[in-house]
Amino acid sequence: MLDAIIKNQMTKLFSSILAIFISALLMVPGQAFASAEGGHEEKEGLDVKEIIFEHLGDGYGWEVPFSHFYRIPLPVIVKAEDGKWFCFSSGSLTEVVVEEDEATGKKEKHLLPVIKKITRDGKDYEFIIAKVSSHKDKVVQIFPLSPAEEADVKLKADSVAAATGVALSHAVVPGYVLQDGTYYREYRTFDISITKNVLALFICVIIVTAMVMAVTRHYTRNGFKAPRKGMGFMEMLIDFVYTGIIKSTLGAKKGRKFAPYLLTCFFFILVMNLVGLIVIFPGGANLTGNIAITLTLALLTFIVTNVMGKKHYWKEIFWPDVPIWLKCPLPIMQMIEIFGIFTKPAALCVRLFANMMGGHMIVITLILLIFIFAAFGMAAAGASVVVSVLFTIFMLALDVLVSFIQAYVFTTLSTMFIAASQEDGHEHHDKDGEIVPDTVEA
Amino acid sequence: MELFTPDFGLVFWMFVAFIILFLLLAKFGWPMILKNMDKRADTIDKGVEYAREAKEQLDNARSEAQKYVAEAQKQQAEMLRDAAKMKTEIIEQARSEAAVEAKKVMDAAKLSIEQSRKEAELQFRNEVSKFSVEIAEKMLRHQMQSDKAQTELVNQLLDEIEKN
Repeated sequence: MLDAIIKNQMTKLFSSILAIFISALLMVPGQAFASAEGGHEEKEGLDVKEIIFEHLGDGYGWEVPFSHFYRIPLPVIVKAEDGKWFCFSSGSLTEVVVEEDEATGKKEKHLLPVIKKITRDGKDYEFIIAKVSSHKDKVVQIFPLSPAEEADVKLKADSVAAATGVALSHAVVPGYVLQDGTYYREYRTFDISITKNVLALFICVIIVTAMVMAVTRHYTRNGFKAPRKGMGFMEMLIDFVYTGIIKSTLGAKKGRKFAPYLLTCFFFILVMNLVGLIVIFPGGANLTGNIAITLTLALLTFIVTNVMGKKHYWKEIFWPDVPIWLKCPLPIMQMIEIFGIFTKPAALCVRLFANMMGGHMIVITLILLIFIFAAFGMAAAGASVVVSVLFTIFMLALDVLVSFIQAYVFTTLSTMFIAASQEDGHEHHDKDGEIVPDTVEA
Repeated sequence: MELFTPDFGLVFWMFVAFIILFLLLAKFGWPMILKNMDKRADTIDKGVEYAREAKEQLDNARSEAQKYVAEAQKQQAEMLRDAAKMKTEIIEQARSEAAVEAKKVMDAAKLSIEQSRKEAELQFRNEVSKFSVEIAEKMLRHQMQSDKAQTELVNQLLDEIEKN
């Protein structure tokens, strides 16, 4: 009960920070407050880690703005164990159960996973969002167990619970999933569902395309008259990245060649960062704070750098200009250089991921502080609301800055890696007579 | 931890999304924007250059005009000076010519006066001689009325011839 209402309040908090702020100042006991007091004895404290990871992670549905329980259903696309593809709505994997507390008469909502059963060619396929499993919060295919097998799994669960000290209802047995008190054998499906993050990705693609196309359309309509207002800002950004990073590092000719990739990177990352900061529907997906996204971006830079790499770049890796004993009998330098090929994009990946995830995590933690302090009484709750909200606003403002800086840093470093792979020999001037940077540090 | 293990589905869709976005923008977006931005920068550069040149030309034209004006003024002054010089010259010439002419006329007048005087003198002389001859004739006639006087004269004349 505490959990549910707190979560509900959290979404409200994000949207109406000011209202709560004022009510806290006037010491009007809010709903969250009263329930925190009442619910304290009934249940254990809130699971901070669980809440943080739920907000940072992906999901099969997207929260309807200001409602924690109702989700916008999204398509789930999975491949079952026997290689058949299934596509169904994520709405059929969860249901909202309303429970009435007999003692207080309060209604409480729960969002619970349910088994999705599909019959195809006379065969039953059952899918579920795993909760107590090693594949937590993922869609798994489940298979009923024979009584003998079930008894065996229960025995294993007992030993796991005893060993780790968790409750039996939360004991994870590898390869099995617990659903409504029954154990099933699980199979982690090959999953390319349109999750919340995937949909957010495509929303970002649309936003970036619209932004760029607006400028393009301006040019087709007005020749090369300078655009004003929003488009002027967009063009300023493009010019900032193109002239400031790409052209100055790669030179005009090569800069033009790699500009589409680098500019796409910059604007995609920037938009993903900023959309991630918006709390409700079109935003709220923690995209660049997800390692899969940053890994893909870093991988793309890795591919561009190495596929387009010139002879000199490979020579520098396999036969660098160092004293012979450093490279001949024992390939020390070669090992370092080859290691460097992979560490550079890895640094890109982790830098963006950690910065963005860190920002989101701090904001969520600050908001959670209110609910943690609520347990200590009215004064503590009121004070923590003021402090948390102020810090949250500050952090979100800082995150807007970080969003821009990280997009800029990612683009700059990608440009430098590409520039390093594009050097020809020891002449430091390319055909256009422009200075090509000599060495590039990761 | 789920957060640190990349999810294959998301990697796959991210790849698809990025490639779609990249192809879209690389084909229809960036080249045109960059081209237009470069073109505009060039135009502005050209405009600035053009303005600079125009200003230079204007300055040149101004100084040239000033030069022409100064030259014209110089010419004017020169012409005025020439004219003045010419005026005095003409006056001088006219004066000298007039003097010459006057002298000529005077000379001619003098000459004719002299001639007339000479003629008058000659005529006067002729008249005088004619008168004197007539007077002498008359006197002779008057003196030689007697024969004796005639003979005496002849003798006298003869004497004179003899003496010679």
